[in-house]
Amino acid sequence: MPREIITLQVGQCGNQIGMEFWKQLCLEHGINKDGILEDFATQGGDRKDVFFYQADDQHYIPRALLIDLEPRVINGIQNSEYRNLYNHENIFVSDHGGGAGNNWASGYHQGKGVEEDIMDMIDREADGSDSLEGFVLCHSIAGGTGSGMGSYLLETLNDRYSKKLVQTYSVFPNQMETSDVVVQPYNSLLTLKRLTLNADCVVVLDNTALNRIAVERLHLSNPTFAQTNSLVSTVMSASTTTLRYPGYMNNDLVGLLASLIPTPRCHFLMTGYTPLTVERQTKNIMVSSYARTKEASQAKYISILNIIQGEVDPTQVHESLQRIRERKLVNFIEWGPASIQVALSRKSPYVQTSHRVGHYFVSGLMLASHTSIRHLFSKCLSQYEKLRKKQAFLDNYRKFPMFADNDLSEFDESRDIIESLVDEYKACESPDYIKWGMEDPDHVLTGEGNASGTVDPKLAGLKISGCRFKTEVEKVDIYRKDLFIVVDYILNFGFFLCGISADFPSPFEVSRGGELRKSRRLIVCSWEIRCLACIPHR
Amino acid sequence: MEEEDQQKIPDLIKELVLRLLSQNPTSDSQLLNPKSPSFHKHLRYALRILSARLRPSIAPDSAAIAESIKRRLVTQGKSSQALTFSELYTLFDSKTGLGSVNNKWAVLHLLDIVSEDRRSTAGQLDSPLLLPNLALGDAESGDNDSWVLRRRVKDKGWSNGVLLVAKDPENARDVAFREFANLVKEENEVSEEVLVRDVLYACQGIDGNYVKFDSSSDGYVLSDSIKVPRATGIMVRKLCELGWLFRKVKGYVSESMDRFPAEDVGTVGQAFCAALQDELSDYYKLLAVLEAQSMNRIPLVSDSASSGNYLSLRRLSVWFAEPMVKMRLMAVLVDKCKVLKGGAMAGAIHLLAQHGDPMVQEFMRRLLRRVCSPLFEMVRSWVLEGELEDIFAEFFVVSQSVKAESLWREGYMLHPGMLPSFISQSLAQRILRTGKSINFLRVCCDDRGWAESATEAAAAAGTSTRRGGLGYGKTDALDSLVDEAAKRIDKHLLDVMYNRYKFKEHCLAIKRYLLLGQGDFVQYLMDIVGPQLSEPANTISSFQLAGLLETAIRASNAQYDDPDILDRLRVKMMPHGTGDRGWDVFSLEYDARVPLDTVFTESVMAKYLRIFNFLWKLRRVEHALIGAWKTMKPNCITSNSFTKLQQAVKLQLLSTLRRCQVLWDEMNHFVTNLQYYIMFEVLEVSWSNLSNEMEVAKDLDDLLAAHEKYLNSIVEKSLLGESSQLLYKSLFVLFDLILQFRSHADRLYEGIYELQARSESALPSQDKSKSRKQRNATSSEPGSWISEGRKALTQRANEFLQSMGQDLDAISKEYSSLLENFISQLPVQQHVDLKFLLFRLDFTEFYSQQHPRS
Repeated sequence: MPREIITLQVGQCGNQIGMEFWKQLCLEHGINKDGILEDFATQGGDRKDVFFYQADDQHYIPRALLIDLEPRVINGIQNSEYRNLYNHENIFVSDHGGGAGNNWASGYHQGKGVEEDIMDMIDREADGSDSLEGFVLCHSIAGGTGSGMGSYLLETLNDRYSKKLVQTYSVFPNQMETSDVVVQPYNSLLTLKRLTLNADCVVVLDNTALNRIAVERLHLSNPTFAQTNSLVSTVMSASTTTLRYPGYMNNDLVGLLASLIPTPRCHFLMTGYTPLTVERQTKNIMVSSYARTKEASQAKYISILNIIQGEVDPTQVHESLQRIRERKLVNFIEWGPASIQVALSRKSPYVQTSHRVGHYFVSGLMLASHTSIRHLFSKCLSQYEKLRKKQAFLDNYRKFPMFADNDLSEFDESRDIIESLVDEYKACESPDYIKWGMEDPDHVLTGEGNASGTVDPKLAGLKISGCRFKTEVEKVDIYRKDLFIVVDYILNFGFFLCGISADFPSPFEVSRGGELRKSRRLIVCSWEIRCLACIPHR
Repeated sequence: MEEEDQQKIPDLIKELVLRLLSQNPTSDSQLLNPKSPSFHKHLRYALRILSARLRPSIAPDSAAIAESIKRRLVTQGKSSQALTFSELYTLFDSKTGLGSVNNKWAVLHLLDIVSEDRRSTAGQLDSPLLLPNLALGDAESGDNDSWVLRRRVKDKGWSNGVLLVAKDPENARDVAFREFANLVKEENEVSEEVLVRDVLYACQGIDGNYVKFDSSSDGYVLSDSIKVPRATGIMVRKLCELGWLFRKVKGYVSESMDRFPAEDVGTVGQAFCAALQDELSDYYKLLAVLEAQSMNRIPLVSDSASSGNYLSLRRLSVWFAEPMVKMRLMAVLVDKCKVLKGGAMAGAIHLLAQHGDPMVQEFMRRLLRRVCSPLFEMVRSWVLEGELEDIFAEFFVVSQSVKAESLWREGYMLHPGMLPSFISQSLAQRILRTGKSINFLRVCCDDRGWAESATEAAAAAGTSTRRGGLGYGKTDALDSLVDEAAKRIDKHLLDVMYNRYKFKEHCLAIKRYLLLGQGDFVQYLMDIVGPQLSEPANTISSFQLAGLLETAIRASNAQYDDPDILDRLRVKMMPHGTGDRGWDVFSLEYDARVPLDTVFTESVMAKYLRIFNFLWKLRRVEHALIGAWKTMKPNCITSNSFTKLQQAVKLQLLSTLRRCQVLWDEMNHFVTNLQYYIMFEVLEVSWSNLSNEMEVAKDLDDLLAAHEKYLNSIVEKSLLGESSQLLYKSLFVLFDLILQFRSHADRLYEGIYELQARSESALPSQDKSKSRKQRNATSSEPGSWISEGRKALTQRANEFLQSMGQDLDAISKEYSSLLENFISQLPVQQHVDLKFLLFRLDFTEFYSQQHPRS
């Protein structure tokens, strides 16, 4: 009873990050490119059967479905060195191969068309599992296939496997750049509705942040998708380590997610991935933050889980927790008890470093549910409103049954749901969450919820300590100002900051600032931090 | 000439006595008769005085005497006489050669005394005052009489007497001495020779003629019938002490020897006897020599003079001085050791050996070396071979016949009474442990490799393994031997424990299975035995549970574990009463087997069992909570579908759900953090301590202590200790409440699903998008969709939610008060780590803000 998890990779982006994910898993479990166990992989202790199943010939096959409406990416996989890894019966490419044309409605509609084929594949996989735990969906919310077809799959899974968990790794579009997908706001909104209603847990992966990390940390002037995707795969593999290397706790997905998501609707998780060195002070394992100003105190953690891989002394963890508590470095919700949970997990014996070649022995992944994520949704809403006002590009959608007869209620409904989601997150920030929505259900909270895109005026006048950042922050738009970064800066050490799903002034730039380099500790105060760590800068 | 002289002197004396007596007015005629016995008596007395060897109490220095005479003359104002005296003295002094006086100082002295005497008796020469003394024949007459008497003699024949003394002093003295000796002999009925012989006999424990052992006074005494001077009697008695002592020692030795085969004298006792025997034979030698000596006469200057025996009582007392000391010591030892044996005896002897006298020290050392040799031999064979050659129970290690599992703890003990004080407590412990280790290896571990270690140890310690290599006083050698042996044997033992019996692996296995460290295994076990355990305890077959355990092992990563380890994992059903559920009685146990059961004894396993039960319960609660989450997991409740409901009901639904969720969150927070605490602060920390201590453990005792510490720290910190009984109880009440909550939450969600289903069926079947449109339409036009069915539905939903809400409120209230109680108890706990639990539970100060403490 390995509590199997079936992975669905939908669309171009989904398949790309999925491929990276499987590469990473193969490395960690000592499985070679053809799915055969390497000779050196004799150490037990890992559970390969969560994500793989074994064919008769000692061949480990991923429990993965590769789904796309256009053949390009999947063909790429099939021609890659990993082509023998996958079960070819689990690859679905639309017959016509025309893709969804970045149209959510098209993807959704086509999904409905091929539902039977795909559900057959899913059923077959589910039948092959003793105790299916759930599904993991990799997709992006901006395009056509991942968002549209992914949405459709979410609804179907919810119908058919309502008892199973559905977790998604959803890539949010790069909101800084003008996207080549003009209808991206529409797609995002429609997908977000399904993510809200039909998924149990959404791990938000922000392309903006991924790009930034690739550019600034990995020194890639023009990061490719493969490079940013490998960052994603690291996060994915790290967040599943406790499932694959069973320890005392958090050995199944339910247990992992249950304490992270106390309120069912607020199930959007932020992640931070942190390679760490043991020589460093342990505080780097933890989220560090700064006693924030009153204005910023609104964003709160609902829950935090740190998964630490590798050997770490529990007492060190305890000490850093104590420090965080004493200094009140992290802001938690006030309507219930909360704490930073730590899961210690073993590390793959075959992979010395989980992400980059380096000197890291301990890696930490943070999964957190944080109310500031609402700003991301507000942003989506505001972008949608802009387009919607202009009634732009709606024709593409009207072609499909859902929006036939100029019935755009789906848009409105999605907008309502996202709005109420934003409201719920906002309500979580107040101590009276329990009573929220009781007194006056029709009352819609003002604020971001009205999709105006304006920020709380108090937040706009935010003081930022560390002058170097002033200009930085001024440059970014209002949305970005909402995301705070607090950096624990240690002299002589560089930074590796891998925040995914948020955009922030890079600490790497900070370290280039001469004056800041001299201060022992710099707290840059932007509001939120999801992940950070110091590693020796060599 | 000589003959003449010989004869002349008694004649002269006779005449002298006659004269003196006749001058005495009181003397009767009878006295003057030379033939009368009284005259003889006086004569003899005079002779005795003359033959006495008494000397004046001044230095025999003529010059000094002359000087003092001269000074006296000067002080008397007779300076001219003084001058004359000094001239005369010079002449007298310078006169040497034949015919001169060779005893000048005596002459001077005599003259001096005579002149002195004359002056004091007012010039009456031949004062008759002196004579009555002689006439009275007072034996007590002192020096006064004697010199008066002598003066008379000298007065009579001045030059003759002087010549007599000067020319043949021996002659005169010998005669006097002989006379004196005869007198003494006449006084004593027993001669000294006889007494000496008797004393010598007595000293060998044999009764002599006169000196006999008197049991009433417990000592050798002279028989009353014979008369001896008191001094002699005392002397004899003193000397006979040796005999008494000898008798005692000898008695002890022979008694022990007689007893030996039948009774438990013990090897140490035998050695002691043998050592005593040797000392006694030395003593015999001495006595033999003395006896031989006693026959000899004192070699005198002249052979003619008959001297006393070589051995007088006095001489004997000198001879006996040393043996006396030794014999006394021996007697004391015998006294001390009479009731003791073995190590205690050696210890007692050792205590007496602390003596400043080097002679005694040396003697005691010699003795102890002999006495301790069997003891050291025992130590040697115990330490190197693990043999307890101790038929007389003399060794300070005693064995008990026990089962193999308690061999280490109870099999061998130190017997404090038998521990000689020259072996320190710590050394004794080491000795005990080393032999114990060997026996443990032999009996429990079935190991033969220790012999090599023992040989190595012996080689390293320098003393060969041969017998008798050790001895008293070589404590260093013993120390190093024990050290070397202990080091190697212990290391070997630990090696055997670690490598052959895989102690660490078993510890780890226990941690993984009994302490639930192997998460996936525990989870599957929980999944599959859960339904079984909800049944009443008496309907559960442990056989079936064992099968399920097997399944859980196969399904989890435990399958890769050593089959030997898995084989030891068993299901255990505790005795159950009526009404017990399976949950109450189910537990896992681990079969440690020999030799590991020395560490994992029954009491240790009982502790493990308690910890298991606690953790299992905790796990069960967590499992229940996660089950509850599954039913309310996000995509199950899409509140969307309830928008169709009436506003009031919807509100109520929302509120109930929210309360349920928040309560769940609170409970989950509690349980998860308790688990994290158990894992981080308790299990992992204790485990890493244990691992460290295992690394540095030098012997099995260390290992046992480390494991004990590990277990105790877990028990203490997981609230299972004595001091946290109250806390533990309230914790269990909390657990029960959480389980209760779970069933409530399940019921709530069941009701909600039912509601959902009904409200959907109440609507005309439409596809989803249509229903949504419908909603928009209806909301604008309330009341239109309220049919009779709906009303009833709403009504029921309302009631259901209300009752559920009340139940939840009740649980919530109870939970809050219980938790508050629990948390308020935490800081007063003694164990500091429990404060960490508080810290985790109240990380955000949620509780402390809720209930600010005064």
